[in-house]
Amino acid sequence: MSPKATLDIPAETAAIPEGENIKIEVRDLNLFYSEKQALHDVNMDVPEKKVTAFIGPSGCGKSTLLRCFNRMNDLVDGVRMEGSICLSGQDIFAPAVDVAELRRQVGMVFQKPNPFPKSIYENVAYGLRLQGLNKRHILDERVEWALKSAAIWDEVKDRLDDNAMGLSGGQQQRLVIARAIAIKPEVLLLDEPASALDPISTLKIEELIYELKSDYTILIVTHNMQQAARVSDYTAFMYMGDLVEFGSTDRLFTNPKEKQTEDYITGRYG
Amino acid sequence: MINTVEASAQQRRRNLIDRIATGVIATGGVWVILIIVLLFFYLLAVVAPIFSPATIEQTAHYSIPSQERGSTAYIAVEESKQLGLRVTGSGAFIFFGLDSGEVTGTKQLDLPPGVTIESIAPADIDSRNLSAKLSDGSVMIFQISYRVTFEGERRVLIPRISYPYGEDPFAVELGGEASYRDVVIGEDSVVAVFSDSSSRQVKLSLFEVEEGDELSDADLSSSFEAPFDIDYQFVDGQARWLYLGSRSGQVALYDISDIEEPEEVANATLLSDGAKAVEMKMLLGGSSLLVGDQFGNIYQFSITRDESNQYGLAKYRQFKLESSVQRILPEERRKGFIGISDKGELSVFHTTAEQQLLSTFLVSDNSDRPDQPLYEAYSPRSDTFLMQSENGMTVYHIDNHHPEISWSALWNEVWYEGYEEAEFIWQSSSADNDFEPKFSLIPISFGTLKAAFYAMMFATPLAIFGAIFTAYFMAPAMRAWVKPSIEIMEALPTVILGFLAGLWLAPLVEDNLLAVVSVLLVLPFELILFAWIWHILPVSLTYRLSNGWQAAVLVPVIILCVWLAFAVAPTLETMLFGGDIQIWMRETLGVNYDQRNSLVVGLAMGLAVIPTIFSITEDAIFSVPKHLTQGSLALGATPWQTLTKVVILTASPGIFSAVMIGLGRAVGETMIVLMATGNTPVMDFSIFQGMRTLSANIAVELPESEVDSSHYRILFLAALVLFAVTFFFNTIAEVVRQNLRKKYGNL
Repeated sequence: MSPKATLDIPAETAAIPEGENIKIEVRDLNLFYSEKQALHDVNMDVPEKKVTAFIGPSGCGKSTLLRCFNRMNDLVDGVRMEGSICLSGQDIFAPAVDVAELRRQVGMVFQKPNPFPKSIYENVAYGLRLQGLNKRHILDERVEWALKSAAIWDEVKDRLDDNAMGLSGGQQQRLVIARAIAIKPEVLLLDEPASALDPISTLKIEELIYELKSDYTILIVTHNMQQAARVSDYTAFMYMGDLVEFGSTDRLFTNPKEKQTEDYITGRYG
Repeated sequence: MINTVEASAQQRRRNLIDRIATGVIATGGVWVILIIVLLFFYLLAVVAPIFSPATIEQTAHYSIPSQERGSTAYIAVEESKQLGLRVTGSGAFIFFGLDSGEVTGTKQLDLPPGVTIESIAPADIDSRNLSAKLSDGSVMIFQISYRVTFEGERRVLIPRISYPYGEDPFAVELGGEASYRDVVIGEDSVVAVFSDSSSRQVKLSLFEVEEGDELSDADLSSSFEAPFDIDYQFVDGQARWLYLGSRSGQVALYDISDIEEPEEVANATLLSDGAKAVEMKMLLGGSSLLVGDQFGNIYQFSITRDESNQYGLAKYRQFKLESSVQRILPEERRKGFIGISDKGELSVFHTTAEQQLLSTFLVSDNSDRPDQPLYEAYSPRSDTFLMQSENGMTVYHIDNHHPEISWSALWNEVWYEGYEEAEFIWQSSSADNDFEPKFSLIPISFGTLKAAFYAMMFATPLAIFGAIFTAYFMAPAMRAWVKPSIEIMEALPTVILGFLAGLWLAPLVEDNLLAVVSVLLVLPFELILFAWIWHILPVSLTYRLSNGWQAAVLVPVIILCVWLAFAVAPTLETMLFGGDIQIWMRETLGVNYDQRNSLVVGLAMGLAVIPTIFSITEDAIFSVPKHLTQGSLALGATPWQTLTKVVILTASPGIFSAVMIGLGRAVGETMIVLMATGNTPVMDFSIFQGMRTLSANIAVELPESEVDSSHYRILFLAALVLFAVTFFFNTIAEVVRQNLRKKYGNL
């Protein structure tokens, strides 16, 4: 948790103002899919309890980068990584790291709502049960808390035993968020959480993100620049596997330092 | 709007192709369904007659042919139902057209002067020879044969009487007039049993003669005194058993296979509660006695043998007429009989099937009240009943093709003749003519399920666990080899598997029983042990194979374990089981070992079923959406937790239908069970015993079954049962899959 010395930090990471606590430090991260390099020397510090958005054109590596934070890339064949990512000062690539424990601390929500074919209650209780929590009253408490935190409690409280597949897309996505925060992670990774949803559901998700940032460090990948501008405190622009520019959202959208960033946010490509 | 000529031509062509394709595909689909439905109805059509009821119909009625020649002593129907025969007391044989009653010819038996015929009875199993009891106490043996000629289109039978054992009647000295005279003609001997009712004298004689020889003095003989006044006497067609009965219901049974020393094996009063044996007859085969009483009950008593090898008579079953029994007419070729009551009721029964096939009252055309038959004849094929009453001659046609089949004969325990108790037995044919067919479908249905059970025991865990590993853990490069290899096993003809199972695996298992059993029992634990060792090995050693190639390491481990089992087994067998485990099992555990047994079938048929289950399960697990597994992993689940809590749950419809389809295949499989089970229809769940399955039974017996016989139709019934069972399993699989797919379909 201790902020590191800023001696050798490259330019783009220095965009974090003094006083912000650094939650995640990325250093010289290179990632290869077999021979193809997908990330080039990424360096960045992610501030704690803020929303950091990743924008960039399709295939720029923003989702790949996000998946490094909970090591979901391990599941892809032929992936090779160099560099380091430290979560609260601990290298998550160290051999001694328990991947399951890492993922418990770094929750993730995917683009497509992916509730399990179980009841609403069991979906939220899933992560708790994995940790051996089986006492009914504790589960009840945590499920209710998580559903309330995800702003879906009022909609589902009367049908907790119904199959989650019966919910609408927006409800499913909020349920999945509830499922993720039920195990009280420190970091939440959101991989285009609203791209499959209608505008009203999107709005609800955005409101939810705003609410959640007081408790969680949130990293969100989005295609939608307005969304990034609305919900995030910091924004990272990526292009062709490079982290081009990283800074406070206000500054990056109003006064981009890089030409590429400007071209992208003004719609010249994307 | 496209309205150019070119475009519309193209449009037409496209529409045409579309219509043709639709038509061809629809036709193909409809044909498939149609053929299955037709198949089902064909099976049903072949099976249906066995459950149709028997019918009786009066076909002719006329006055007694040549009544002027004297009163009747005997009537009969010739085999082809063309002629009837009336024999008068004076020995006139009057042949008449059965349908018309017109006399077609007469013959005269050469009787000594002043002697008349009292009665006529068949004298051998085939009823070729007849014996006439004459009024002077003697017996005359003769044959009636028919020569077939054609007058234009018409078939004409010309009867002939011959005397294979001389024209003279013969008698046995009994010291009085013999009331009962039975003659049994064998291939090289004639046995005669004469007895006198009131003096109770019984005399047995054996003449060592062949057809063409004269009967002179008996070569062997003996006599004894019956324990009661004799009212009934029967000798079976093999001259093995002699039954003596009295009207009070007492029956004595003698083993007369040694003519000189007849042995009483049973002597009991069979009836109680004041019942009188008003009629007694021997059932076809000679091991059952039918006893009718004045209350209308007809009992079947059969010879049984108890554990200490002692013969006795046991009451098997009971049939019922509405009033006192007057006549019992056993069928000549089946275990059925006709019972006639004193009120003119006629009922047809079958003993094995324990059923009453029909019941009617004999009313001839010109009378309202029932006829009382004075003489009656039941044709050799049991399809015609001829009777003479005061009203004349009446002919009935009886349509009764499958009396031996009833629900209870097929599915319940049946007490067969000679057995200690009721049992489920499949024994459809034998060389013997008076054999009682045993048509219980239970043993072969049981065999089918047993074979399927052991095959599934072997195949299900292997196929499902294998599929889980392949789909979920295995490295893609290895999976690309493993999956097609296992699937190609499905193309292996089962006849080859059966051949290998029966001729290579069965002897191998027999010779190395201990090794094979220990491999099956111990190998799973050895694999777990090895997995644990692998787990505690330093990562530096296991790292290279950690991503899905671990299964490859197991191959040498398995080979080593199997080799070890085969190497150690002989020593172990000597040390623990006295050198031969099969002898040890038989003597210590009482378990018999068949060479072709469930173990072999389980292995071979398991191998045939594995590809089916594996392939469907693998597909089901592999197609579990990645976002679900990732969602689970992202929540901090280990791969194992993800597998057990999410993947298997989501793939469960596929796994279920895989097992069901595998089961359907195991149930319907024919070649392997045909070649590796030994085809013994035993009701024993032991893994070391064989079985006979429905499918193998059909394959074995249908080629030699007489078309349209009961046996033939029962085999079709077995096919229908098989069809229904596989249809059931496949439908269940499909319905469950559809339902679960609906539940998990929008993932």
